[in-house]
Amino acid sequence: MFKGTPVSDGIGIGKILLLEEASLSYTPHSVSDPKAEVERFRRAIDALTDQTKRDAASLRQTAGEKEALIMEGHISLINDPALKGETENLIMGGQCAEAAYESMCDMFIGIFSSMEDEMMRQRAADVRDIKSGLLRILLGVKEVRVSDAPKGTVILTRELTPSVTAGIKKGNIVGIITETGGKTSHSAILARALEIPAVLSVPNAVSIFKNGQPVIVDGSTGIVIPDPTFDELNEYTEKRAHFIKEREELNRFRGLKTVGADGAEYELVCNIGKPDDAAKVIEFDGEGVGLFRTEFLFMDRSAVPSEDEQFAAYQKAALILKGKPLIIRTLDIGGDKEIPYMGLEKEDNPFMGFRAVRYCLKNKELFRKQLRAMIRASAFGDIRIMFPLITCVEELREGKAMIEDIKKELTILGIPFNKDLKVGIMVETAAAAMIADVLAKECDFFSIGTNDLTGYTMSCDRGNANVAYLYSALQPAVLRMIERTIRCGREAGIPVGMCGEAAADPRLIPLLISFGLTEFSVSAPSVLRVRKCISKWSKAEADKAAEKAMRLTTKKEVEEYLAGLA
Amino acid sequence: MVQKHFTIKNAQGFHMRPATNFATAMAAHPCTVTIKFNGRDVNAKSPMFIMAACIKVGSEIDVVCDGEGENEALAAAAAMIESGFGE
Repeated sequence: MFKGTPVSDGIGIGKILLLEEASLSYTPHSVSDPKAEVERFRRAIDALTDQTKRDAASLRQTAGEKEALIMEGHISLINDPALKGETENLIMGGQCAEAAYESMCDMFIGIFSSMEDEMMRQRAADVRDIKSGLLRILLGVKEVRVSDAPKGTVILTRELTPSVTAGIKKGNIVGIITETGGKTSHSAILARALEIPAVLSVPNAVSIFKNGQPVIVDGSTGIVIPDPTFDELNEYTEKRAHFIKEREELNRFRGLKTVGADGAEYELVCNIGKPDDAAKVIEFDGEGVGLFRTEFLFMDRSAVPSEDEQFAAYQKAALILKGKPLIIRTLDIGGDKEIPYMGLEKEDNPFMGFRAVRYCLKNKELFRKQLRAMIRASAFGDIRIMFPLITCVEELREGKAMIEDIKKELTILGIPFNKDLKVGIMVETAAAAMIADVLAKECDFFSIGTNDLTGYTMSCDRGNANVAYLYSALQPAVLRMIERTIRCGREAGIPVGMCGEAAADPRLIPLLISFGLTEFSVSAPSVLRVRKCISKWSKAEADKAAEKAMRLTTKKEVEEYLAGLA
Repeated sequence: MVQKHFTIKNAQGFHMRPATNFATAMAAHPCTVTIKFNGRDVNAKSPMFIMAACIKVGSEIDVVCDGEGENEALAAAAAMIESGFGE
C-alpha cells in the first residue's frame, strides 16, 4: 500500500497505463542556414498550435468550458510574439531551433517556479508542457495518446500535463496517479472537473509501479493499492458504488441555499488557511469563510511579515470571495510552534501558556500591524475580525480598543475601511463558555472552536493515546458548554457559528440546530454533505432529538442515540 | 508617445487570463505598448513577459504606447485594467 495526496474524491479500480516521457534529447548544433531553421521553427509552432486547438476542443467536451479556456491560454503562450521573436533571434545567431526554444522556455520556467504565488508557479508546468510539445514536433517523436486507452485505465505519470489531460476520455480513465502536484495544482483541478479519482505526489510511483499492473486508487484518502487481493477488490468495489450514489445525491445540493426541512436558513461557510484557498471555497459552493487562519503568514520565515504583506493576503482572499463573509482570526500561536523571531520560549504546558491573544496583547506592535492590515482590507469585502483563546472580558476590551484606535487613525489619514466592521471571538475555552453571557454583550458574534473547547473542557490531549478516549464533542460536559454558548449568544441577539470539526458531524447537527446555531463553518469539500444533512432537520424535530440527547448521561449513550438518528 | 498610470485592482493581478487577454488586445495595435513596473520595461504584447513581471493586486504600473494608433491603444488598455479585467 502506498500513500499520496488525495486531490479528487472517489475510488478507481483498473490497470495502470504508464505514460513515460519519451526521450526528447538532442545534440545542440549550429545551423548553417538560419533562415531555413527559422522556417522549420515556425512550421513547428503552427503544428503545435493546431494540435492544441484540437486538444482544447476535446477538453471542452469532457471537462467543460473553464478547462478549455486554460488550454486556449496555451495557444496564446505558444504564439507569444516576444517568445517567438527572441527564439528566432537565437536561431539567427546560429543555434538550432530545439536549443533556442528550450533555453527561452527554461528561462521562463525558472522565473515562474521561483514565484511566491502558487497560481503563478503553476505556469511553470504550462511552459514545460508547451516546450515538450514543440520539441516533440521538431524531433518527430510520437506522443502516447491517452485517448486510445481502453476502459478501466489508471493513468500513471510523473506530472499530469494539460495536454495529457485533454486526451482523457471520461468513460475510459478511472484513476490518476502522479509523482508531483498538490491539492491546488492544475492537475488536481482538472481531475476534480472530470470527476476522476486522483492521488498525486506518490513518491517514485513511476519507477515502483508497472504498466498493466492492477491497482486501486482511493482519491478520498490518498491510498494506492497495487495488485489488490480478492478481499480488497470486494471492499473497494462496494466503497465505489456507495461513493457514486452519494455523489449523485450531493450534486443536487449544489448552488442551493442551506435550509432546514422547515425552510429555516443557515449560513454554510468554510475554514481556510491561505488566501488561495478562497478559490476552493467558491469551487465547492461554500457561502463564505467562517475561519481564515493567519498562522501561515508567520511560519517559515525570519521576521514578522510587514503590514503591507499581510494586507495583500487578506485583500486577496476578500476579492476572491466577492463580498461573501470572510472571518479572519488574529494570530493563534504559542510555544508549541518553533518561530525563532517571535521569542516564544519552550513551555512545559504551551496550551495553557503564553499564546494566541495573550501573546498578541503583550506584543502590541506585532498585533497592531495585523489588525491594521485586516481593517484596511475590510474596504475590499465583508471582512470580520475574530480573537482566539479569549478567557476574560478584559482581553476582548483591550483588543477592541486597539481596533478603535486604528480606525481613528485611518479616518484621519483618509484610508478607506468598513466602518461597520464586526468584531467577534472564538469560544474555545471553558472560561469563555461560562461567561458567554458577559462576552456576548460586548462583541458582534461568537464562533465556537470545538476542537480546543473539547480539549480544554475534558482536560485531555487527543494526541495522548492514553487519554484520547475522553476527547469527544459528544461528551455531556462539552455539549453543555456548546448549548450554553449558543443560548447566551441568542439571548444577546448575536449570531453564533461553529468552526471546529464538530460543525460537520452529522450526529451533532440536529443538536446545533436545536440550540440555535446560525453558521456552520466546515472544510470546503464537506459543504454539500453538510448542506444535505441540515436539509433533513426541522427545528421541531431537532428539538425533540436535543431534549432526549441532553438527558443522557454518558458519551456512549449520546453517541449511540445520535448515530441512530443520523 | 502617450502614457498613463494605473493601480491593479483585480485579486489575482496579471495572472494567466488577464495577461493573455491583455496581450492579445494590445497585439492588435500597430504601436509599441510597454508596461513600466518596478523599474523595468515589459513588452505588453507578450503574455509570458507580462506574467513573468509578477504584477499583483495593488501594483503600480505605467502603460506607455508609442507609434501609430497610440491613443486608441492606451484607451483600450485603460478600459481593460480599470474594469479589473472583468473579474
